Amino acid sequence: MTIAHYLTGTMLTPAVAAVLIALFCRQRPKLAIALSVGAAAAICAFTALAVIKADGETYRASMEWLTIGDLTIELGFLFDGTSAAMLAMVALVGFLIHVFSIGYMKDDTSPARFFGGLSIFMCAMLGIVLADNLIMIFLFWELVGFSSYMLIGHYLTKPEAAAAAKKAFIVNRIGDLGFVVGIVYAYWNFGTVNLTEMAAVLEVNPDLISTTIAALLMCGFIGKSAQFPLHVWLPDAMAGPTPASALIHAATMVAAGGYFLIRITYLFPQSVLTFILWLGVGLALYAGICAYAQKDIKRVLAYSTLSQLGYVSAAFGLGFSSLALFHLITHAFFKALLFLCAGSVIHGCHHEQNMYRMGGLLKRMPITSITFFIGILALVGVYGLSGYYSKDAILIAGGFVSPAAMVLLTFGAFLTAGYMGRLYWIAFLGEPKSDNAAKAHEGSWTMTLPLIVLAILSIIGGKIGLWPEQLTGYIGAGLDNLAAMDGYDALYNNILIWGTLAWVLGLAGSFFFYGKGAKTDRLEEKARPLYHFIEGRLWFDEVYDYYVAKIQQRFAEVLAFLDVFVLKGLILRGSAGVVGVLGIFSRRLHDGNLHGFVYWFLAGTLIALALALGWLNFS
Amino acid sequence: MVNGFTDFNAILLFIAVILPLALGGLLLLGGRFPQRLNRTLALVGFAAPLVISLWLFRCFDATAAESGFVFQSRFATGLEALGIYLHLGLNGISLALVLLTGVVGLAAGLFAMQSQAERGHLYLALLLIMLGGLVGTFASIDLFFFYFFHEFALIPTFIMIGIWGGAGRRTAAIEMTIYLTAGALLSLLGLIALYWNSGAEYFSIIALREYLAAEPLSATVQNNIFPLLLVGFGILVSLFPFHSWAPRGYGVAPTAAAMLHAGVLKKFGLYGLLQIAAPLLPLGAMEWQSWLLWLALGNVLIIGLITLAQNDLKQMIGYASVMHMGYCFLGIATFSVIGAGGVIILMVAHGMSVALLFLLSTCIYHRSQTFDMGAMGGLARKTPVLAAFFVVATMASIGLPGFGNFIGEFTIFMSLGESEATRWFVLPTAIGIIISAVYGLRAVARTFFGNAHEGILKRFEKGEIEDLRWSERLPAGFLVVGLLIVGLWPAVLTDNASDAVESIYGRAPVEQSALVLQVETAAVESLALLTSDLHSNER
Repeated sequence: MTIAHYLTGTMLTPAVAAVLIALFCRQRPKLAIALSVGAAAAICAFTALAVIKADGETYRASMEWLTIGDLTIELGFLFDGTSAAMLAMVALVGFLIHVFSIGYMKDDTSPARFFGGLSIFMCAMLGIVLADNLIMIFLFWELVGFSSYMLIGHYLTKPEAAAAAKKAFIVNRIGDLGFVVGIVYAYWNFGTVNLTEMAAVLEVNPDLISTTIAALLMCGFIGKSAQFPLHVWLPDAMAGPTPASALIHAATMVAAGGYFLIRITYLFPQSVLTFILWLGVGLALYAGICAYAQKDIKRVLAYSTLSQLGYVSAAFGLGFSSLALFHLITHAFFKALLFLCAGSVIHGCHHEQNMYRMGGLLKRMPITSITFFIGILALVGVYGLSGYYSKDAILIAGGFVSPAAMVLLTFGAFLTAGYMGRLYWIAFLGEPKSDNAAKAHEGSWTMTLPLIVLAILSIIGGKIGLWPEQLTGYIGAGLDNLAAMDGYDALYNNILIWGTLAWVLGLAGSFFFYGKGAKTDRLEEKARPLYHFIEGRLWFDEVYDYYVAKIQQRFAEVLAFLDVFVLKGLILRGSAGVVGVLGIFSRRLHDGNLHGFVYWFLAGTLIALALALGWLNFS
Repeated sequence: MVNGFTDFNAILLFIAVILPLALGGLLLLGGRFPQRLNRTLALVGFAAPLVISLWLFRCFDATAAESGFVFQSRFATGLEALGIYLHLGLNGISLALVLLTGVVGLAAGLFAMQSQAERGHLYLALLLIMLGGLVGTFASIDLFFFYFFHEFALIPTFIMIGIWGGAGRRTAAIEMTIYLTAGALLSLLGLIALYWNSGAEYFSIIALREYLAAEPLSATVQNNIFPLLLVGFGILVSLFPFHSWAPRGYGVAPTAAAMLHAGVLKKFGLYGLLQIAAPLLPLGAMEWQSWLLWLALGNVLIIGLITLAQNDLKQMIGYASVMHMGYCFLGIATFSVIGAGGVIILMVAHGMSVALLFLLSTCIYHRSQTFDMGAMGGLARKTPVLAAFFVVATMASIGLPGFGNFIGEFTIFMSLGESEATRWFVLPTAIGIIISAVYGLRAVARTFFGNAHEGILKRFEKGEIEDLRWSERLPAGFLVVGLLIVGLWPAVLTDNASDAVESIYGRAPVEQSALVLQVETAAVESLALLTSDLHSNER
């Protein structure tokens, strides 16, 4: 068995599971669950084997898929430090979320469809992680979009789920427009879209670097990673089942956009990097503020995800793509944990998602409550937990490259601690605020065990010394580079102080402002206009909806009207189709005489023939 | 020049054309046969082209004949004086289309057999004649029979719309007849003019190619003839702005006829442009290239937007199909190997996906009793399998990877990017991937998800809505498998066609090739050196 076999195994097992589920398991939910979770476990095993076998070496393999003339499309693996780390994260988090789903989806009406969707997703996601060229990335990129569509729309009868699924797919397609055009331009510019070969080409001929191509490819990232201004689909995507939100819309798929950038770092000129930096900083702050006016526990977490994705793109924009990868991975651990805890709460509270109807969960759901708090501490960057390592490294990098970004991102950390504190103090402390919350209970072990494992990962995930060298090489090198820069120590201490201050102030401030288990939102009471402004989220959705309904749709209707009446009326009736174009006999045709029509038709035909044969020449 | 059959496979190809026609003729008289016999005969007729084309696919070897056309057979038909023979044979391009005909023909046939139409034997007979005509069209090397078989397939469509069509069939049928007759006539004129000017002895593709390769037509003559073929074939493929017959015609056509027409017959015009017009009139084609590009852009963007405004499911599918033809035209307009390859893939994939959509839309109609998407909704609750099929068909048609349509469209984008002159077209045409996602997913949501409309709720309560039956699943599943095969393994079509396409479109290397070559050499040299530390370097 070679590495190629193991890597193919990681992708093929979930694909086969998905096909089997689709064909045979609609009425056999138990079998579907066994197949899907089994496939997730197999992915972990194959990943471990591949990592051990490769032993830190870069592995490449590819085969031709389609050759037409000068166009060659290949499928292949590029298994290096970056993809090994990402692969391990996806496999591990994916497996834990699969296990959690067993309990969470126990009472669902069609678990087979859900687990089939998860398996399609795993296959597609691993395709993105392992792909060695842009076209292959795009293939699987679209497929994760499809599985996301399937899973967001899982609750078929909820209109908002159907709308959210559609919105997610279409908004992603808008980004993919740039992506696909970027691929075409890249192929003809570099002569290849293979990741390794493009890098080599640019090394030889740096003039080929192109702002256009980088900007176009960036569009794909903006769509998939829900960056400004295509971020609107992510909060709505929370209409899907919570484990799907955890896996796809928090830990892995939205991270795929950032991962994609990391794979093609070398294509980006400084101008585009700077753009991405400010895009990320803007999103981190914008989403951090929006979270204050959300009452649905999942939507708060969704805005938190957006905000953290802003940190990832900021890290990339600063030129430190290894730190982007680092934060992506630690974020996957603690955000998957937070979402699964939210799922556990929603499950325990009989599908109550409003945090003002929860309260007192700490007593009734101790495991969930404690692991959730660990997740918060990791997210806000408490010293020694995973989020601290990655976020502080980004802030330090900011200090070197762009102090303004550093200040703003530190302020973002304060916002993060504030809204997470608000969520925790209101939903988990105090007294139950509804019957559902009063009857809250912990789920079965399949639900609590993944929480505990993820909590441990959230604590230790950032200590790269604890992980095998094969997985951390790329990130470790990035951290070492950072530490070797002049003035690192002073900056490090500063960031440690300010970072700690940010989360302490955030958590304490929100505790004193909102209070334990509050029944109403204090900000809404004290500063209603401000709250409503934040709740409006700058009205992106409204503007887009207006465009779609009032401009695009009306334009389409006008065109459809013209199509029916003008084309039909003018061309068909007025001049008897194309033949009419050739002649001036339209007036004769108005009498509707069929014989006349036939004669003119023949005459037109003869004229056309004469022209074609060169007997008649107008020129 | 051969006479008779060249080999055993040539006999098979001949049978694939004649058998459906003969069985169709038999069924026309077959009102007196027992129904069982009728159905058995029909099934044989529907299955024969597919079975034979699969066998021919297995045996296909483009290098076996100098002309690239294998399995040749040739017979005198009394028109020798005009250089016309019944001359059949396949090259890589026509092989793909014969395969498509076989797949869609069998699916349409199976679907028709379970549809219980009135005067069922007549329905099946016309469908068989259509199928035979289609195989004949794509298997014809002789251009007269190419055209003749096309009419054989076209006329049953009109009759079927007239007898079994939906509401408003009269006006739609008249409009369709006028357009298609005009288109067919114009293209015939173009072909005759081409033959006349070429000085060839036979009215066949091979002869014309040989004569025109030795002595190309003057630019003026080419420029005069090409627009006839472009507009003529264009009308048949619903080139903007000659498209309006298509959605309305398909809207009223009986399902099996719509499947075969939109899926296969429409490809006649594309095939004509790809196999005949562009290669034989290269100068004329270049002269008219910008016209074709702009009109095709109209297909993609304007028709795409019009599709957004449709409320009738079947009309929407019709408009969507017109829109996707725009991509085929764009591929042809590049006059390049890559473009031609993309068009071949997309023709086959689109043929299967549009047939599948028409089939499923009828299944939806049988359950909801309406094509109005405003009066549907929530069907998925009672019909999960139908919903799954429809989602798959929609995803295929809006270009999800894994299905053939994606790779066809992507290859066409690539072909547009190949030349500097057409590169900027990639962005506007790619907007189509957004538009198609919008109307496709909107149709899925309005039909299957959300709250059910009152009428649907009533039918739910009465228990009148059941899931897809096996007799419906079979033809649908069949088309899905076809789409997946093309999507996962597109080389299955292009490898066979590569000889034909290279010999037609393989021109002097375009300007990029030199650059690519230089870059590649440099890349290979530096590859080993660079890659090891490539990713560890921070910017």
